[in-house]
Amino acid sequence: MIWNAEYESMKREDIRELQLRRLQWIVKWVNERVPAYKKKLDKAGVKPSDIKTLEDSTKLPFTTKDDLMEDYPFGFFALPMSKVVRIHSTSGTTGDPVVVGYSRGDINTWAEVTARVAAGGGVTEDDVIQVSFGYGLFTGGFGMHYGVERVGATVIPVSAGNTERQIMIMQNLKTTGLICTPSYALHMSEVAAKMGVDMRSMPLRIALFGAEPWSEGMRKEIEERLGVMATDNYGLSEIMGPGVAFECEQKNGLHISEDHFLPEVIDPETGEQLPMGETGELAFTTLTKEAFPMIRYRTKDLTTFIAEPCECGRTLIRMARVQGRTDDMLIIRGVNVFPSQIEHVLTEIEGVEPQYQIVLTREGTMDQIEVWVEVSQAVFPDAMRKLVEFERDIENRLYNVLGLHAKVKLVEPNSIERTAGKAKRVIDRRGN
Amino acid sequence: MFWDEKNEAISRDELQGLQLSRLQATLERAYSKIPFYKKKFDKAGIKPADIKNLSDLTSVPFTTKDDLRDNYPFGMFAEPLDDIVRVHASSGTTGQVTVVGYTATDIDTWAELVTRCIVLSGGTKKDIIQVAYGYGLFTGGLGLHYGGEKLGAMVIPMSGGNTKRQIQVMKDFGSTILCCTPSYALYMGEVAAEMGIDFKQLNLKAGIFGAEPWSESMRQEIETKLNLKAYDIYGLSEVIGPGVANECEVQQGLHVFEDHFIPEVIDPDSGEVLGPGEQGELVITTITKEATPVIRYRTKDVTSLNFEPCACGRTHARMQRVFGRSDDMLIIRGVNVFPSQIEEILMSVEGTEPHYQIIVDRQKALDEVEIQVEVAADIFSDEIKRLAQLSGLIEQEIREDLGIGAKVTLVEPKTIQRSEGKAKRLVDKRDLAG
Repeated sequence: MIWNAEYESMKREDIRELQLRRLQWIVKWVNERVPAYKKKLDKAGVKPSDIKTLEDSTKLPFTTKDDLMEDYPFGFFALPMSKVVRIHSTSGTTGDPVVVGYSRGDINTWAEVTARVAAGGGVTEDDVIQVSFGYGLFTGGFGMHYGVERVGATVIPVSAGNTERQIMIMQNLKTTGLICTPSYALHMSEVAAKMGVDMRSMPLRIALFGAEPWSEGMRKEIEERLGVMATDNYGLSEIMGPGVAFECEQKNGLHISEDHFLPEVIDPETGEQLPMGETGELAFTTLTKEAFPMIRYRTKDLTTFIAEPCECGRTLIRMARVQGRTDDMLIIRGVNVFPSQIEHVLTEIEGVEPQYQIVLTREGTMDQIEVWVEVSQAVFPDAMRKLVEFERDIENRLYNVLGLHAKVKLVEPNSIERTAGKAKRVIDRRGN
Repeated sequence: MFWDEKNEAISRDELQGLQLSRLQATLERAYSKIPFYKKKFDKAGIKPADIKNLSDLTSVPFTTKDDLRDNYPFGMFAEPLDDIVRVHASSGTTGQVTVVGYTATDIDTWAELVTRCIVLSGGTKKDIIQVAYGYGLFTGGLGLHYGGEKLGAMVIPMSGGNTKRQIQVMKDFGSTILCCTPSYALYMGEVAAEMGIDFKQLNLKAGIFGAEPWSESMRQEIETKLNLKAYDIYGLSEVIGPGVANECEVQQGLHVFEDHFIPEVIDPDSGEVLGPGEQGELVITTITKEATPVIRYRTKDVTSLNFEPCACGRTHARMQRVFGRSDDMLIIRGVNVFPSQIEEILMSVEGTEPHYQIIVDRQKALDEVEIQVEVAADIFSDEIKRLAQLSGLIEQEIREDLGIGAKVTLVEPKTIQRSEGKAKRLVDKRDLAG
């Protein structure tokens, strides 16, 4: 089902016309209200009046995550706090997570674009939708919550975790749609099997997945094990949260809500816009966002645009599934983790050597993260109990920073393999 | 400050007229749409039309938590699922869970009532509200969230846990109102001290604390340590969630929002309605709820009602802080736990004996639960690893089923003290009085 055919199936030339008008507005908006942007525009020698065609957007400077961190927390806000009704934040360090704000209008737009995601994935007002994304500063839970609410379906805000209970609820409340990360869905199917529950015989019929990369193979497996139609959706907090792009029932690329987000694919090295069909880094300019507008924000996600019209009738351009990252960010169970965050925590602890390795495995279907840390001979505890306590302490510190449980294993000095060149910090044994 | 002066300062006469017409409509709907109520009313020999005065409510039978459980999951719903836009549930294992539903109107009413709570606690749309209640099926987080949003304040949806980050956010974002359980607030105070952060340097002005019983001395301690004014909020998911009652600035009892709920206090043994000021079990009837109306719902919370006018100008009755429970339910960090639930889990694990003790303590402001359970002699003589595995397994089951972290200690057979009468299953070392 198409949620808002007026915009989702708009004629291409009308979309472009709308985008241009909105682009002109947003450039003016940031120039007037966000000193950091005014500075950037001045430096690039661009005035709002220079934007006469959509192509002129390439004259605008890029925005990077580093820019946002420099002005943490509120430097990129275009509205005073009294007009900001919601704050979200990227899973961050004690240092500099990215803080994003929403006006009342933005919350409304967000519900609109996530309603499109929901409808695209098959949600109707008759559905009972279990939202198993974490609720909180993370945008996953709330984004889809408001979208499903807008569609008028029944929302069960289970949040993440407590898998047996999730399955019990799914059975008892006759859940028809599931929203979570794809790896968590697979994990649920395994736990259900252990409980003797066959998910295929449940009323569950659709699943909407996001927040981590997944493959076609994984889709087939999930669809088979859960007895559902599984669709992908895409978003990031800096732009809006979930709701930026979504698959329709064709399951062949994700439609970008272009009336709200102007997408580009660029060469990550040169910053040049790439021709249609080439793979590069995805960048977005928000066209309607009031509180936290972004100009040419570099997502570091690699993808390709699909130009052909889609059979579903939507005219919104499609992006292929995200094919990778331009940096070393890891996505563990939907949580973004940088090796540098882990390093930062470890270096603050006395007795820990600057030698560590991050080992990623997949236990069943759940990503697991283990951190191997060398401790100096002097502190390597003799008693087992002390060792365990020390590990727990580091695990807690990591949890406070990452919002994620990482298992810590203390190892003896010089036991982690040394390399001549760049240290190999991450060992990924997940095998997608 | 009023949010809705017309309804909050309504004259008692007008209020009672409104309550009566809403009560009559609720009884009609419950009777015609929920088979459980029809059966119950028929058995008691009453018809909705018999209720001609508010005082006739006493002839209507009570509803208990067991009734809700027996009708799990959707038996207490007055509207078809198509019109239900939200479901919440209490924590618990299968058969123990209660499910409540909301129509779009109910969600709106709920937001309206929580907005009142925030305004009663001194909040305005200029405030930055840090919601540190858990979000999810638990009504705490989403309840405060929608209220803050309706008010137009800035909402920071932190959810529970990750205390250092909570404090960092409080500092970086300049939060002015903190919403969480009182014990978590105290714990934050301690963690902040460890982090070298002084609350006097922060912008917090008020705390909206609830979901567990707390005392006047705890209020003073929180107010001193966190440098804010602490307000008590009351609610329960069976009724609507937070937003049933809240303290005003006078802080002498919590105003029950009587235009939406009719409160009564009864003798828990006889079921007789008690007079103003008398202590007993709180009973609530919802008079505007569409999806899951409850009629004379026994909350098991012990309090008293005060109908004297309040200096704040609100005419709604005030309930005293909740003194305790009329059953053995424990509230551990805002999560409701019955010893019977723990027992059920222990008994499902092979190797445990039916002798156990639950020890609840408040360490560094946070509730800690330790469960001592006897295990069979052969297991105890086994290697340490096996014991650790067993206690780990039980801890995990408790975490997953009940949503609380508990420390499980396995003890040798016959080490837990036996009693001749009722076994003493619970040792509560927390000081909740005073």
